Amino acid sequence: MNYLIEGFVKALHLLLTGHPETFSAIETTLQVTSYSMAASLVLGIPGGFLLGYHEFRGKRAVRTLVDTCLALPTVLIGLLVYAFISRRGPLGTWGLLFTPVAIACGQTILALPIVVALVATAIEGLDRQLRISLLSLGARGHQVLMTSIWEARHGVVAAALTAYGRVLTEVGISMMVGGNIKWHTRTMTTAIALETGKGEFAMGVALGLVLLAIAFVVNVSLAFLKRRT
Amino acid sequence: MGWIYQAENLQHRYGTQTVLQLDHLSIERHKIVGLMGPNGSGKSTLLRLLAFVESPSRGRIAYFPADGRQSSEAARLQVTLMGQEPYLLKRTVLANVVYGLKVRGESENLEKRAAEALQWVGLPPRAFLKRRWFELSGGEAQRVALAARLVLRPKVLLLDEPTASVDMESAQRIREAALRAQRQWGTTVVVSSHDRHWLFEVCDAMLHLFKGRLVGSGAENILLGPWRRRTDDLWAKLLEDGQELVLPGAPGPDAIALIAPDQLQLNLAPEGAPSPVAPLDVPCRVAGTLLRLTLERASGRILATVAVGRSLFTAKIPCGGSHRERFYPGQRVTITFPTENVQWLV
Repeated sequence: MNYLIEGFVKALHLLLTGHPETFSAIETTLQVTSYSMAASLVLGIPGGFLLGYHEFRGKRAVRTLVDTCLALPTVLIGLLVYAFISRRGPLGTWGLLFTPVAIACGQTILALPIVVALVATAIEGLDRQLRISLLSLGARGHQVLMTSIWEARHGVVAAALTAYGRVLTEVGISMMVGGNIKWHTRTMTTAIALETGKGEFAMGVALGLVLLAIAFVVNVSLAFLKRRT
Repeated sequence: MGWIYQAENLQHRYGTQTVLQLDHLSIERHKIVGLMGPNGSGKSTLLRLLAFVESPSRGRIAYFPADGRQSSEAARLQVTLMGQEPYLLKRTVLANVVYGLKVRGESENLEKRAAEALQWVGLPPRAFLKRRWFELSGGEAQRVALAARLVLRPKVLLLDEPTASVDMESAQRIREAALRAQRQWGTTVVVSSHDRHWLFEVCDAMLHLFKGRLVGSGAENILLGPWRRRTDDLWAKLLEDGQELVLPGAPGPDAIALIAPDQLQLNLAPEGAPSPVAPLDVPCRVAGTLLRLTLERASGRILATVAVGRSLFTAKIPCGGSHRERFYPGQRVTITFPTENVQWLV
């Protein structure tokens, strides 16, 4: 067990001295998760609203599809994205393979069903009288949408947190379409996997600590916001 | 004056069930119109259609704004509905009251206007403006919801049982505020309520709904089955106190009899036992206790509510002063009506 404790001590040293390789992985992770979360929230919140708010033919089938996508394995998403952006793929000419954008695309596919499904559930849980009240007060389509999402804000925040937890901790997509290239596409999770394989526990533990810290800060900030609203 | 709403052949369905079927509907501008009827009679559905938050399955409701220019935009901005259990946004009272103003793009004097609206419903603005939605009682929440409608100075105010689940003070405040809107701004008020006496007192016109159909303009007596077919081909209904109503012409055991209140004649009961007699060509008669006398504002006549067992009958007392002076609540009275004027609904 000594090597774990040594690793922990070294980890603190790496973080406190601003070890460039460690901070590069942290930066890449924050960058790609920010892109993927922005994309999945921009697409997923209106999508979840439409799915939860409206009745339409085939709604149950769409819901089943979205729920199934909640269990998408990250390596399968990595494989699909790889197939599309590799040289032989339909988007091969875009030159996305082994770039942070490629990782962000994969992570968006991972997060989107989570945001859609949980936002839809939050919207479905709203009081039926809300819609009647808003319409009878003169609200129009986009005003009904914005107010309903605000009324379901705690559910929407929970959806975002769950999705963020998933993209922050995934390895498969980052490894397959990012290529784990040092200084470029190496994220915290791929770095942990690599360093552990090499027997370099210190950097692995350091990055693990940072992952936990990020999750903690995000949760505490949102809990604070929740209390304020 | 003129009509503010008109509709023909209006039908509304939920799935395969028809919940509202009206051949004709007209509502006059600046009037207070009461909607009465038992639960499930279609009152809330009609109010939602009048508020344009739902579209009828068949037919169309025409809304005529005062400027004569029909548009869905005018209807959306001039008509507002307060449901039986209105939804308050998870915000402060101020944010709730000014929500309708904000969606109209108004931004001037919002706090002052919200304070004024709160005063109309009897809530001190200083104590309430900054309160959050969960810091209100049921009656206060209902009053805040009404203030959110009144602040819009609507042309049409639709109220769905506004006092059904609130305390007496809130109920009184809500009633006063609704009537004040009509008096001060000429708002057309359409209100549904189970408090028929209040409706009779304040309404200029009444619509009586039953099973999604308009059955009259107020106090019609509705007698539900079961009816038992007698050997002489008459149909009998046993009332809770043992008296029997005997009528001709029922279409079946589950038929519903409809008797207009002006068909009922009220007399002081003679001493001794009541005599529920009803041969075919003789008026039907039952005895009961006079419960309440109410002034019907629209006609200026007195409505007498008589309890026969658990059934309530409503009779109109003629305008002559001598008739009015004879009756007071608590008296034993008889109700007589000609059987040929009974309408049957299947």
